[in-house]
Amino acid sequence: MTEAVSTKPDKLTPVLAVASATLVVASLYLIFVWVPTENSMGIVQRIFYFHVPSAATSWVAFIIGGVAAIRYLANRDGRLDDLSVSCNEVGLVFCIVNLVTGIFWAKPIWGIWWAWDARGQSAMLLAVIYIGYLILRQSVDEPSQRAVVCAVVSICGMIDIPIIYMANRWWRTQHPAPVIGGGGIDARMGMVLAFTMVALLVLLWYLVRQRRKLAELQRETEGVRRMVHALG
Amino acid sequence: MEENLKWLWYAFGAAWVIHILYVATIASRAKDLRGQLDNLKSLLKDQQEKAG
Repeated sequence: MTEAVSTKPDKLTPVLAVASATLVVASLYLIFVWVPTENSMGIVQRIFYFHVPSAATSWVAFIIGGVAAIRYLANRDGRLDDLSVSCNEVGLVFCIVNLVTGIFWAKPIWGIWWAWDARGQSAMLLAVIYIGYLILRQSVDEPSQRAVVCAVVSICGMIDIPIIYMANRWWRTQHPAPVIGGGGIDARMGMVLAFTMVALLVLLWYLVRQRRKLAELQRETEGVRRMVHALG
Repeated sequence: MEENLKWLWYAFGAAWVIHILYVATIASRAKDLRGQLDNLKSLLKDQQEKAG
């Protein structure tokens, strides 16, 4: 059974593309020009305005992907599997951006590329889980079996998110004190952080929509391939 | 100051390179899949015509 990709004109995607590009450019202006330079770390601290929202955006993506996976296990609707893989893959991109920007922040501030502290390790573990998830998707051929196995991994992957969030509260880490939910941040810095968060969430929405179209196309291709094999 | 500015550019540069590469991979995979789908559909049409 094949499900044709929707041929309805998509008005939202171009709007999201323009909105995310505009918001990202505005956030870059705020980060590089508008916000005051932090006293102790200097200009490198500006990496924080991209590092923290990238992490938070990846968590949002993984949570949506995990909830879609739970709903897939309940309903066995292929569109929920499409949503889950799309959110998890795009979430992994934001997670990698978070790790890379963290590395470029750590080197000048701590003098090392990577501190093996609890938050860094749990964040890296999150990336490894979802890299494994994507490898697993490639290695299982049967679509419904693949969706079930990957849904379980997606649900398990979400468990790491509260561990990352709480890591610098539960353990002594080299990471700075909590920012989100920790208070004590300058009003303008908080505003830029919130604005960049909104910009990246709109970008996430756009990328997930694009990735879902790819997933639908993949499902349609697999369906037609099965029909060709059945007739051949 | 200038030494530290380098790290800021590296971080933002790397972040945007990752995003742009990802968008490029989505576009490339979509193009491949559309090609495969068109081939499979024409193959399916041929098979259905042969089967009558």
